[in-house]
Amino acid sequence: MKRKIALVLIGMMALTTLAGCKSESKEATKEAASPTNTIFTGELEENVTIQVLENDTAISKGYFDELIKAFNKEYEKYGITAVDANMDQYLDLANDGPYGYGPDVLYQANDVIMQYAEGKHIYPLPVEQLDCYSQIPEAAWKAYQVDVEGNTYTCGVPVNVQAPMLYYRTDLLPEDWKSNWDDNKNDVPDMVENWNDMYAYSKEIHEVNPDKYGYMKSLYDVYFSSGFLFSYGGYIFGDNNTDTNDIGFAAGDANKGAWVLSQLASNMNEDCIDDTITTNAYSKLADGTYFATLSTPDTYTTFYDSLVEEYENDGLTEDEARDKAIENLVMTSLPKLPESGDLTEENPSLIDTKTMGGVNGYAISSYTKCPNACLAFVDFATNYEMIKLRNEKLGIAPAREDVAEELGGLSKQMYENLEKGNVVLMPSIKEVGQIWTPGQTFFTDLAKDSFRPESEKKFKDLDALKAGLEDMCNQISDAIHTLE
Amino acid sequence: MRKFLDSSWRVKLSALIMGSGQLMYGCVAKGIIYILIEIGFIAYMVIRGFSDIVGFFTLGTTKADAWLGTVGDNSVVMLLMGIFAWIVVAAFIYLYVLNIKSACDIEERVSTGRAPKSFIDELKELLDRKFYITVLVLPVVGVCIFNILPIIFMILISFTNYGGSIVPPELVDWVGIDNFKKILTLSKFAPTFARILGWNILWAVVSTALNYFAGLGLALLLNKDCVKGKAFFRAFPVLAYAIPGFITLLAFKFMFSYGGPINQMIKATGTAPIGFLDLDAKWMARLIGILVNCWISVPSIMLLATGHLSNRDMSLYEAARIDGATPFQQFRKLTMPFMLFATTPVLLGQFIGNFNNFGIFYFLRGGLYMDGYFLASDTDLLINWLYNLSIDNNYYCIGAAISLIIFIITSAISLAVYVKSPSYREEDTFQ
Repeated sequence: MKRKIALVLIGMMALTTLAGCKSESKEATKEAASPTNTIFTGELEENVTIQVLENDTAISKGYFDELIKAFNKEYEKYGITAVDANMDQYLDLANDGPYGYGPDVLYQANDVIMQYAEGKHIYPLPVEQLDCYSQIPEAAWKAYQVDVEGNTYTCGVPVNVQAPMLYYRTDLLPEDWKSNWDDNKNDVPDMVENWNDMYAYSKEIHEVNPDKYGYMKSLYDVYFSSGFLFSYGGYIFGDNNTDTNDIGFAAGDANKGAWVLSQLASNMNEDCIDDTITTNAYSKLADGTYFATLSTPDTYTTFYDSLVEEYENDGLTEDEARDKAIENLVMTSLPKLPESGDLTEENPSLIDTKTMGGVNGYAISSYTKCPNACLAFVDFATNYEMIKLRNEKLGIAPAREDVAEELGGLSKQMYENLEKGNVVLMPSIKEVGQIWTPGQTFFTDLAKDSFRPESEKKFKDLDALKAGLEDMCNQISDAIHTLE
Repeated sequence: MRKFLDSSWRVKLSALIMGSGQLMYGCVAKGIIYILIEIGFIAYMVIRGFSDIVGFFTLGTTKADAWLGTVGDNSVVMLLMGIFAWIVVAAFIYLYVLNIKSACDIEERVSTGRAPKSFIDELKELLDRKFYITVLVLPVVGVCIFNILPIIFMILISFTNYGGSIVPPELVDWVGIDNFKKILTLSKFAPTFARILGWNILWAVVSTALNYFAGLGLALLLNKDCVKGKAFFRAFPVLAYAIPGFITLLAFKFMFSYGGPINQMIKATGTAPIGFLDLDAKWMARLIGILVNCWISVPSIMLLATGHLSNRDMSLYEAARIDGATPFQQFRKLTMPFMLFATTPVLLGQFIGNFNNFGIFYFLRGGLYMDGYFLASDTDLLINWLYNLSIDNNYYCIGAAISLIIFIITSAISLAVYVKSPSYREEDTFQ
C-alpha cells in the first residue's frame, strides 16, 4: 500500500510540475478584413446541393417541402438543389462545422443563431442585397448584428417574430360583458384589454367558484414574466443588449412590474409557483378551469386540439366542435398595464405591455462550400410569396412589413409591437444564458410570496421588490463576471 | 543497468537500433518486431508525434477564422493529441527498455551455453506462464484510451484558461495553478464551498448508510423462510431498479409538485398544498432527495446482499442460537461482520457514487440559486455546483479544478476507510 501511496504522490508531483507550463500569450495572426464581399461574390456555384436545417413544424406541416420544390425549380438551370439537412434542431455547428458536418443554411431563433456569430461559425451576410431588406424593421435586423473586431456585421435574415400571446375563451366571458365589461364599447372585453380588469375578473371568477380561475400562468418562467419588468423600464443588458456590465432587470420602475405579477398571483393557486400551469394549461383552459393564460403563437394548435376534444366529450360532432373551438379560442396581444402598477386602481392611466421575444431567421454556415447558392436560397425563402405561404401554413407572425400589412390582424399587431419596441428581443450574446436561473429563482420566490403567511412575506412593498430584483441582477452579474 | 553496462557490443547496439541484439543472436522474428516498433515510432514522431508534443506545450499559435478561410489550431484537440503523443512515447520507452532487457537475457542464456528461446516458445509462454499478459494487454490499452486519457485531459484542463470566452476558435493557454488560486482566494467561493461540502458529506454518509441497511434489511427479510412468494416480492425492487434513474426522478418531481398527486390528495382534505421541493423547502427537499435516492439504490444493494447472504455459514447461527444469542446479537456479531467484510469495497463505491450523485437534485430541484450560496442552491452537491459553474457558465477550467478537488477528497476518504476496513486488514482470513 505504501508503494501505491508513493505512486500517487509521484503522480501529483508530476502534475504540479506541469502547472508551471505556462506559455507566452498568443499573438493575433491576421487582421480581420470585411469578408462579406469576398465571400458573396454573386457568382452562383453550379451543380451543388444545399443542406437546409428547417424548423420541425415547417417540415411536418409541409411548408418546407413546398419551399424547396419551388426553389429547386427556379434554380434548376444552375443545378442547385436544396434538400432537408435531416439533422437535429439542437446542432453544434461550432464543433461539427469545422469537420464538414452540419447544414449549409440553418433556420433558428436569433439567440441560438447568434451564439455562432462571435466564433465566426456563420457568415456575415450582404443583407442589403436581399429582396426583404427594406421590408424588415431595424429592430429585427439588430437581433442578428454582431460586433467583431470593431466592425458590425449582420449574420441572419429575420423571418418571423415570436412573442408571448394571451389565450382566452370567449364562451367563458360573463354573459353581460358587453354592458359591464366593455367600458369603451369597442366590442372587445375589457379584461383582455387591460390587466386591471383581468385582475378584477379573475378575482370575481375565483370568489364565485373557488375551483375556477381567471388568468393563470406559471410565474417562474422568465420568458413570460420578464415582460412585466420591461414594461416599467427594466431591460436585460444595457447598450442595446450588449453591455453585460449593465444588467437592468431592476432598472426604472421594474419593481412595479414585479408587483403586478405578485397581484396576479394572489388570484391564482400554488400551481403558479412551479411549472404545473405550464404543463396543464391546455387541458385546464379547455375544461374551463382557467379563463386565460399566456403562451407562444406556436402552441395555438395544442390549445385548439384540447378544446375540440373537450367539446367532443360534451357531445358535439367533430365539425361542430372544431367550429366552436375556432369561434371561442382567441389568441391576442397582451392587455395594457396600469402606469401605477396597481391592479386595483379605478380608471388607471394605461401603458403598453412589453414582452420578451425572439426573431427566427436564416443564417449561412461558414463551413458551406457554396455561400452564393445559399444566399440565393435565403433570398428566395424570405421573399414575399414564401413568407406569405409560411404564414398560411404555419400561422407565424412575419417580420416582413408588406406581408404583415396585407395579413392584418395578429400579424400586423405583432409587427407593430416589434417596431414600437414592445417586443424586447432576446440578446444575441451568449451571456444571455446566465439570466435564466437567477430570474427563475426570483420569480419563483415572488410567486411563493403570495402564499406565505403575512409575517413571513419577503416582498411586502415596492422597496423589497426592488431589493429582490437587484439581488437577481447581482446573481446574473456574478454568473457572467466572477470567473472571467 | 549494471547488466546493460557489462553487456557486449551486440546488446549495446540494441540501444541504438532496437532488435539488432536479438537479430545477432538469431532471434529473427523478435528482432524484426522490435525494429518495426522503432521504425513505426520514428515515423509517427516525424509525421505528427513531434508536432503534437510541441502543440501540447503551445496549445496552438494560429487562431481559426472561418470568414477568412484560416483553418487555425484547435487548442482542445491539440491538448488531447498531445496527451496521446505522450502516451505513445511512454509506451515506446517501455518497449525500448523491454528490448534492452530481452537482449541482455538472450546474451545471458547464450553465455551460459543455452540456446536463446525461439519465437514460438515465447509465444507459447504468452499462452501459458505469461498468460496474464495476453489477457491484460487489451484491457490496459482500453483503460489507457478510455479512462486514463480523459482523466489526464480533465486534470490538465484545470491548468488552462479553457472556458468562458476562451473556447475554440479562441486559443487556450496554460495558466499554471491560477484556477486553484481563484477557487481558494475568491471570497464568494469559500462560504459556498464550505456549506456545500458539509451538506455533501452528510448526504453521502446518510444516503450510503440508509441505502446499505435498507437493502440489507430487505434482503434479510426476503431471505426468511417464513416469507411466502419471495421471487414475486423481489421483482418489485428490481422493477424500480430497471427503470432509468432520470425517469424515476422526473416522476418523483411530478409527484411532489404543486399539481402532483400528493398535493392533490392534500388539497382534497381541505389543507393548503405543501411546497415539497420549492425554494423554502430546504430540509424537506433534502429528505425527499435522500428517500428518492434510497428508492433508486436499495434494489442493487438488496440483490448484492441476497447473493452474499447465501454464502453464510449457517452452522455459526445455529451455534449462536444454542448459546442463547438473540436475533439482533446474531445480526450484530455474525451477519454484519460477514457482510461488511465482503462488501466494504462496494460500500466505498456507493459512498463515492452518492458523493458525486449528480442526478438526484438536478432533476428534483434544479434551476434555483439560493441566498447565501454562490450560483448554487441549498440542496446542490459539489457535483451540481461544479455543473452550474462549468457547463451552465462555461468555465470548464474551473470545473476541472473543482472536480480535481472532489477527486482528492473522495479518494482520501475512500483510501482511509478502505485501509482501516477488515476487507483490507484481514484480506487473508477468508482465503
